[in-house]
Amino acid sequence: MKRNRLSLAAAGFLAALAFGSGMAEASGVLTIGRREDSTTFDPIKTAQNIDFWVFSNVYDVLVRVDKTGTKLEPGLAESWTISPDGLVYTFKMRDAKFSDGSPITAGDAAFSLLRIRDDEGSLWADSYKVVKTAVATDPKTLVVTLVTPSAPFLSTLAMPGVSILSEAAMKKMGAEAYAENPVASGAFTVKEWLRGDKVVLAKNPNFWEAGRVSLDGVEWIAIPDDNTRMLKVQAGEIDSAIFVPFSRIAELQQDKNLKVQLDPSTREDHLLINHEHGKLADVRVREAIDYAIDKKAIVDAVTFGIGQVANSFIPAGALYHFGDNLQRPYDPEKAKALLAEAGATGLTLNYVVNAGDAVDEQIAVLLQQQLAKAGITANLQKVDPSQSWDMLVSGDYDISVMYWTNDILDPDQKTTFVVGHDTNMNYMTRYNNPKVKDLVAAARIEQDPAKREAMYIEIQKLSKADVHWIDLYYSPYRNVSRANIDNFYQNPLGRFFLEDVVKN
Amino acid sequence: MRAGSLRLPLRLGRRYPAFGLGLGVVGLWLLLALFAPLVAPFDPILQDGTIALQPPSPAHPFGTDNFGRDVLSRVIWGARIDLQIAFLGVIFPFLIGTVLGTVSGYFGGLVDTVFMRILDVVLAFPFLVLMLAIIAILGPGLASFYIAMAMVGWVSYARLIRAQVLVLRGADFIVAAKSLGFGPLRIMFRHLLPNAIAGSIVFSMSDAVLVLLNGAAVSYLGLGVQPPVAEWGVMVAEGQGFITTAWWMTTFPGLAIVTLALGFSLLADGLGDMLGVRE
Repeated sequence: MKRNRLSLAAAGFLAALAFGSGMAEASGVLTIGRREDSTTFDPIKTAQNIDFWVFSNVYDVLVRVDKTGTKLEPGLAESWTISPDGLVYTFKMRDAKFSDGSPITAGDAAFSLLRIRDDEGSLWADSYKVVKTAVATDPKTLVVTLVTPSAPFLSTLAMPGVSILSEAAMKKMGAEAYAENPVASGAFTVKEWLRGDKVVLAKNPNFWEAGRVSLDGVEWIAIPDDNTRMLKVQAGEIDSAIFVPFSRIAELQQDKNLKVQLDPSTREDHLLINHEHGKLADVRVREAIDYAIDKKAIVDAVTFGIGQVANSFIPAGALYHFGDNLQRPYDPEKAKALLAEAGATGLTLNYVVNAGDAVDEQIAVLLQQQLAKAGITANLQKVDPSQSWDMLVSGDYDISVMYWTNDILDPDQKTTFVVGHDTNMNYMTRYNNPKVKDLVAAARIEQDPAKREAMYIEIQKLSKADVHWIDLYYSPYRNVSRANIDNFYQNPLGRFFLEDVVKN
Repeated sequence: MRAGSLRLPLRLGRRYPAFGLGLGVVGLWLLLALFAPLVAPFDPILQDGTIALQPPSPAHPFGTDNFGRDVLSRVIWGARIDLQIAFLGVIFPFLIGTVLGTVSGYFGGLVDTVFMRILDVVLAFPFLVLMLAIIAILGPGLASFYIAMAMVGWVSYARLIRAQVLVLRGADFIVAAKSLGFGPLRIMFRHLLPNAIAGSIVFSMSDAVLVLLNGAAVSYLGLGVQPPVAEWGVMVAEGQGFITTAWWMTTFPGLAIVTLALGFSLLADGLGDMLGVRE
């Protein structure tokens, strides 16, 4: 199977070389409009989707997440074995080359893995502290030893943060130069980066799956204004645009020249509650807020019916999502009764809103009126997003809407952030339940999938009962492309499979 | 109101058509704002998801927004906020600038130097940037906006008045007042100011246009009026995402801004004619 695939790839590569010279260059460049430009090409120094999504075009990883976003599949590691105690992972590297023609070795993989753990600038160091050693026993074999068994470890290797970098090039160029003009291990190389404007990618002829790539290049163009971006794709000035506003979807779907893609995502929007602020410490008050919020109305008004009411912090479609989790119905009278019981009648809340975010502001206006019906006064405080984050961290808020998209397949990452009681205070909510904390730690090292699922279901039930936050809605990725573009697709973790895109 | 009290503005309106038209437009908005609860057909903040994004119709002449709120009612209620912005945003800089300009021009010397250097510092920054910086420090809201306006806007008035005072300072009637032994306060505010202020009054009208647009801009950026209060700039901002699908959400509040601004401009022009001031 594997051998077949390799020879197929080789054949494809030769064919591409043979035909490539004869084809018109411009026809094969895909132009994509997005809100912001990239900030770096150093995978360990960013946590932003905007960067991660381009990393997946430029770098390959040891283990990939498949198109459906539910399974892991081999990337630069052709195969792997796990020792019975779950501590030692042995990866066999496939024959592959960097864009500069040098071979991708187990040494490069070990370097990339240890770099995200040890480098001072790494934003992800904590997630990889579980790695004890990573050693290349020979150029084709990588042996990783863990501190403790870790069920999510394999899926963390698929995160774009641990993209495989060239150790030799990094040492020669220095991290800063590499972050500007990287040596690629993925389908495309960075041809030109005009900061704040666009990233120009060219096909990487040395990519091990180069035969799969039909595009000559890709341009990620920053067009911040939603209306302008949509107009440009409608006018055919660009091939695709991402972040289609909810309000435009029905209209764009009518346009025969366009294809609107609504791909399932792991995005969940939720209402953070500061458990340390006065009456909010009382679970009855938090329950009352949940009853007072009409999530269906939010889905209808804000997402134009495209979203889906959320019932758990593990999003629908993601691993171990508990579909039967409690969903408190909209019931302002019950909310009032609960508030009265808790002695919190006339509750006034400080609601921090991200200024300039249309969706956030719309939710705020809706929530304010819904809460008012239950007798809760919400004072909106619009602040700049950079400032609002600091306010959440320092606990200077009562309620605020935030969102999360998963970076890895395994639920451990989000669960740890949201209810794992680590340094970020359960995503700034200050939620505290020792039982949940222990369960999260236990679920991380449980190797039996069935037992693990049961644990995650229990975590979802317990945190829902405690109203750790209020789940609002799940929403899909919303992209649009011209009718002549095929396979412009994003998997639930956000990866664009540009290697499969065809421009007719 | 006696019938006679209307006669003066009407007569002035005939002699100075720009003034009359401006007074009419601004007056109309003032009346709408005053009687908003009676005139507006609906509650401006009442949401009704079932009638969201309806185009203009007899029931909702300006259509409804994405929350099903009546745009006409919001425009009418918004007039209250925007007129308040135009008034308070002008009056504080006007008072501060007038006093400082008079004092500075009358005394000259060290006082003048100090005030004029402060003025240079304020002028050295782009107007909107400085205002946004002050609002960012004070926190979003209308009160911050007024404070920022007062801190930044006074420089234009101070310069205008100072220039006039410098010219008048050596005039015979001032020399006469001095020789009669009047104190500096009396000379400044009873003798100098009434003769120097016409230019500032005219300027304040055209300044109202700028303040109105600034208020709308600041609210548009999310730093001014907080939701769900209806304000024209906020309404334009909220409607921006719907501009290709629901033009009425932005068009009507936009037109309201344009007409009120035009009204103030005409008023300024007419006042200039009447008072014999040329900018």
